Amino acid sequence: MKLQIGIDLGSTAIKTVIARDGEILWRGRTNTAPGQEAHATRLIESGLGELRLTADAVGGVAVTGYGKKLFAGARVRVDEISANAAGLFRLSGGAARTIVNIGGQDLKALRLDENGRVTDFRMNDKCAAGTGRFFELAARLLDIPLDQFAAVSRQARLELELNSTCVVFAESEMVSLLARGTPREEILKALHRSVARRAAGLLGRDVSGPVWLDGGPARNAGLVEALEDELMTEIKVLEEPQHTVAYGALLALQAAGDG
Amino acid sequence: MSCAGAPPDRRQRIEQKAAQKVAAESEQLLAALRQREDCRPEFEAFLRCLSTTSAASAADAARRSGRPLLKLLCVQAPLELIHAAGFHPFRVFSGSLAASALAAGNLPALTCPLLRAVLGELRLNAAPAAGWVLPATCDWVTRFPEMLRLCEVDDSSAIWWLELPRLKNRADGRERWLTEIWRLKEFLERLAGRGIGRNALLDSIAAYARAAAARQKLRQARIEGRLAPLWFMLVMSAFFLDEVSAWTASVERLLAVLTPQRTQARENGSGRVFLAGSPIVFPNFKLPLLLEEAGLSVVADDLCSSERIFPGTTVVEDESLFGLVSALAGSYHQGCLCPVFADNERRVNNIFNQRDEAGFQGVVFNVLKGCHPYDLESYSLEAPLKAQGLKFIRLETDYTQEDRQNLLTRLEAYRGIR
Ligand code: SF4
Repeated sequence: MKLQIGIDLGSTAIKTVIARDGEILWRGRTNTAPGQEAHATRLIESGLGELRLTADAVGGVAVTGYGKKLFAGARVRVDEISANAAGLFRLSGGAARTIVNIGGQDLKALRLDENGRVTDFRMNDKCAAGTGRFFELAARLLDIPLDQFAAVSRQARLELELNSTCVVFAESEMVSLLARGTPREEILKALHRSVARRAAGLLGRDVSGPVWLDGGPARNAGLVEALEDELMTEIKVLEEPQHTVAYGALLALQAAGDG
Repeated sequence: MSCAGAPPDRRQRIEQKAAQKVAAESEQLLAALRQREDCRPEFEAFLRCLSTTSAASAADAARRSGRPLLKLLCVQAPLELIHAAGFHPFRVFSGSLAASALAAGNLPALTCPLLRAVLGELRLNAAPAAGWVLPATCDWVTRFPEMLRLCEVDDSSAIWWLELPRLKNRADGRERWLTEIWRLKEFLERLAGRGIGRNALLDSIAAYARAAAARQKLRQARIEGRLAPLWFMLVMSAFFLDEVSAWTASVERLLAVLTPQRTQARENGSGRVFLAGSPIVFPNFKLPLLLEEAGLSVVADDLCSSERIFPGTTVVEDESLFGLVSALAGSYHQGCLCPVFADNERRVNNIFNQRDEAGFQGVVFNVLKGCHPYDLESYSLEAPLKAQGLKFIRLETDYTQEDRQNLLTRLEAYRGIR
């Protein structure tokens, strides 16, 4: 059985999954930079190298994400919403019906039927509020590494409100809160709640059953807790939530008979 | 500081720059259209009409038609009446981002982008006209003269208001509207310095009926996949830029070469959509181009810039002057699908009615940021359309290009929904 490769050429990161017969063998990630095709190719090469395999073993490459047209060697191109649905549905063992995906520049809410097909979706418009970019900005401003967000925000004693969801206004609001001596953990917790509110708004209130959260920011347990509080439902996160979309793209190869 | 308040030399420089940008927007789109594989010589008549900024296009339209212009907003003023008075009815609208940016500093941030662009273009060149006819439709249009002043547009043409009854289903509203149309007739006669006779009106009604018949054939060609949706929209965009009979003749020439065989689009079920919502105005063809890129084919629409750019044929039963004016008043009021009316179930019914004929599986609803009537309606329509098995997507956008990728992602995913 040949390998299938899925690439998600996102706005902030390139994610790649190598699988055989749908079983994930390798995952990799690199930051998005000019020359996306070359970066993606290098990522694949390093994956194949780690697996001690060569390009001959590859049955096909499927690409999704903003840059999907930039990768010439793609056998299949899939839109990221369909890829997200397919990937998460399969990885959740067919359980996922509601998904919130937080990407570098966008926020999406998806609803699936019992076959994993998208029945409805919502996506933020061009405003970057509530997206990965929002968290990157906060990390810089508050000088807290992204992987410390959950631990730091749990230390907050007071519940603050961040009034702005717009990235630009939120930045100045955070700056003025810092200037007033507000503890960073409180600002961070408020930020999590603000993003969670925005995701919940996109989803609508009629959520039944667990919500699956994916995309890079899904690794932030502080956000997961905030979303849980906001939606008052269980939030499930897979082990590698930033790779579900690339994996979903790869599944399209199978559907197309190429894997 | 807004351009209108800038010192004269700076203002002149800003306006010159804006004029260059406005022209460049049209030129870029026209060049791209001319390079398309499906571009035919028969489209040239329309492309040429659109080859200048809208203010200059207005002057060209006056020259082509050999008539003085009567400028219009919206679609409720009977074109036949204006035409019969010897004027060329000219709908002023613009899809130019640069023109919109020029007027932005003088207006609230969430002003309708279309009107903002119109005001920007008018600042650059108000194009001489006999007058304006403004139906009191949405809030923005109703405040248009105020916005002309705020943007310091140098336009002294007389403005004639049509007070539009927002309740179509009430007899007193219909009567008021009929009175409005008679008063419009008097206004036009005063402007023209001559009366509008029955024969002239009959001729004009016949000319617009021929245009409507040509449009019907174009619609059919689009449904059958013989005419790409983008071209349909372009042909409709040129409607006010030429004399009505000349436009009709150009459409007839085009129809003669549209081959009868059906393309793939007809079979391509999930990709066939109905486009509804706020107008999409040349040269801002962002959404039509993205729809194409996402593999979606607009087989029918209800945009007042496209299929609805002029109303359907006016059915005349009584050929007296009173009968003609009454028939026109009725068709422009009762037949109007604009969402500014309070009682307008016809909008949703129109979509259902066209579904069998055009065979679409979904509705794409375009909301121009700041266009409240269509914005509200996009929420009202979603449930009834979905209940009838039509997929639905609402896209809120403006004249900028920065949300292209975001819109494309959504359209591609929408296409995949069954
Ligand atoms: S109806 Fe919408 S698009 Fe038309 S003028 Fe009013 S706000 Fe603008």
